[in-house]
Amino acid sequence: MGKTLLKIENLNATIEGKSILKGINLEIKEGEVHAIMGPNGSGKSTLASVLAGREIFEVTDGHVEFMGKDLLSMAPEERSREGVFLAFQYPIEIPGVSITNFMKAAVSQHREHKGLEPLSPSEFLKLMKEKKELVEIEAKLANRAVNEGFSGGEKKKNEVFQMAMLEPKLAILDETDSGLDIDALRIVANGVNKLKNSENATLVITHYQRLLDYIVPDVVHVLYDGKIVKTGGKELALELEEKGYDWIKKEVQV
Amino acid sequence: MALKNQISKEDFLAVFRDEPINTLLGTNGDNGNGLNFTTIDFPNKTEEEWRHTSINKILQHRFGLGKTVSLDKKTVDLFTIPGLDAYRLVFINGYYNPDLSDEIEKAGKLLVKSSAKVKKEHPEIFNKYYKSTDLGSENFFTTLNTAYATNGSFIYLPDNAVLDKPVHIINFSDGQDSKTISQYRNVFYAGKNSKAQIVNSFHSLTVNYTLTNVATEIIVDENAFLNFNIFQGEGDDAFQMNHTKVFQHRNSNFSSHTITLCGAIVRNDIHIKHLDEGCETNLNGLYLPDREQHFDNHIFVHHAKPHGTSNQIYKGIIDNKASAVFLGKVLVDRDAQKTLAAQSNRNVLLTKYAKVNSKPQLEIYADDVACSHGSTTGQIDKEALFYLQSRGIDRRNAETLLLSAFLSDVIENIQVEPLKILVKLLINKRLKGEKVEGQCSMIEACHGCDPID
Repeated sequence: MGKTLLKIENLNATIEGKSILKGINLEIKEGEVHAIMGPNGSGKSTLASVLAGREIFEVTDGHVEFMGKDLLSMAPEERSREGVFLAFQYPIEIPGVSITNFMKAAVSQHREHKGLEPLSPSEFLKLMKEKKELVEIEAKLANRAVNEGFSGGEKKKNEVFQMAMLEPKLAILDETDSGLDIDALRIVANGVNKLKNSENATLVITHYQRLLDYIVPDVVHVLYDGKIVKTGGKELALELEEKGYDWIKKEVQV
Repeated sequence: MALKNQISKEDFLAVFRDEPINTLLGTNGDNGNGLNFTTIDFPNKTEEEWRHTSINKILQHRFGLGKTVSLDKKTVDLFTIPGLDAYRLVFINGYYNPDLSDEIEKAGKLLVKSSAKVKKEHPEIFNKYYKSTDLGSENFFTTLNTAYATNGSFIYLPDNAVLDKPVHIINFSDGQDSKTISQYRNVFYAGKNSKAQIVNSFHSLTVNYTLTNVATEIIVDENAFLNFNIFQGEGDDAFQMNHTKVFQHRNSNFSSHTITLCGAIVRNDIHIKHLDEGCETNLNGLYLPDREQHFDNHIFVHHAKPHGTSNQIYKGIIDNKASAVFLGKVLVDRDAQKTLAAQSNRNVLLTKYAKVNSKPQLEIYADDVACSHGSTTGQIDKEALFYLQSRGIDRRNAETLLLSAFLSDVIENIQVEPLKILVKLLINKRLKGEKVEGQCSMIEACHGCDPID
């Protein structure tokens, strides 16, 4: 059994006074893949956003420990440098900033945080090339402005590419499968799988079971109305696919 | 209705009337040249053109005619644009410095000289183009310039002349001995099929109250290409009024880049008139007022003939309690069919005190034209900021990246490559709040920009 990476205890969060997360408990260890499934509006994306540090959500109760540190007290950039990565459900378009410049700034701040020397321009380009091949992203994409005019598939591939560049300890994939055709889904999942090792972990947030055929989870949680109402193995995902979320809703109400 | 401590028009003008001055106009004063200061008053906020720009702060000071200040080449070199090989014309406090300048006079009368010299040596050329664009008495300051300017830059390109290097006109202001007013009257004539690039930069040598009053007349003849760059980096107590008037002939191409990085109150007017068919005009601007600075850009493009094209793209970042004005007007006459005109003004306000007044205007009398205009003012995109931060980039760096990106298309449009590189560098330093030796102003005249946060 690996060390605990992430420990969430009784996490409560609101947006504009509306309660979204109502006491989440979750523990993720090194080497594990967890999936969180749930109907729309259950709080899946809110959980991802709170972990990444999006300011519009207010944490009203609870505690999150990441590698022994208090995650919630850190700024979003610190969380990233400590090893948390959020693949956005809707990646943001940033006109005028090239992916190369974006990653140069990010990698240099990550290295500085770890006390490493900055990469030389040629080392950096080598790293870019290596990671682009790993996630099968077209070379020319890197010269374009971040996500500007990208197709849905390109945006998600770009997220996985950034993940490859930053080598996080914990990758949170927020509905990375939504809007992807089967080929793009396979490429994205392949990239994620290649980056997996015994020292990092992946939290896959999804509405559909489809992605979990490619990124096979160790643990599946069902989130409903701001709480984790069921936890099981990968077969739970199949059961959900078959019976639908109404089954969970009924079970919770009983 | 003079405010407290505000000097009167008579007092303001006294310095020019006390002693005889040898002006470009030839006669001393405003009599008999259609310039009558009894009917021309200081601009005030009841006039549409000056509604958002008050000159009260300027009128707190009694400006005198400054002295020419000796300057060594080393100091001037601080203000050259790295990597720019150019013909230089250097002026201090309105006075020409021939020792630090590279004059040109070639067969066929290609001229790059001071206006006063051209007036003396080539009166036929001077008289043909000076005051030929009807720039004269638009307002108090252009009238003042016409009446009392003693020098400036004169560039004359005969037909088919192509300048092998850009001309860099460097204007220094220095109010060390007294509050100084400097006036420049520039005349640029680009003959048929000629081509040139001109950079006019403004800098302060000391931190003192100065007023720089510039009027530039530009005539672009048939099929000529002229690219004009205004770089404003005077100190925090420097006022500047800068009025450019451009007459374009058939199929000519005029482009400008107005880069305003520093100054107390800076007002830029660029007025364009298409005198014939097929003219193209591209006007670009970027401005970054800080503290309580106030930068105002007024543009007027007059499409008087068919098949003309004009584009305006102005972008600004307004920090602290600073303010900016953009007023761009496009007038399309009934004869100016097939005109293509686009105007865009975008602003980012960094604080809740920062202010911008933006007013793009179209006035169209032709029925077969394609004209567009747009204006946006907003804050830094919070979602984009979070996205960058979520990748480990700290807030300040993320903001710098986003703001540089916001300005990038206007910067990329700059045609003089070394100027483009310098502007990129200075804006990056500006956003990070780093001081720069030279380039904008002498370090003594530089309060340093505040970092954004």
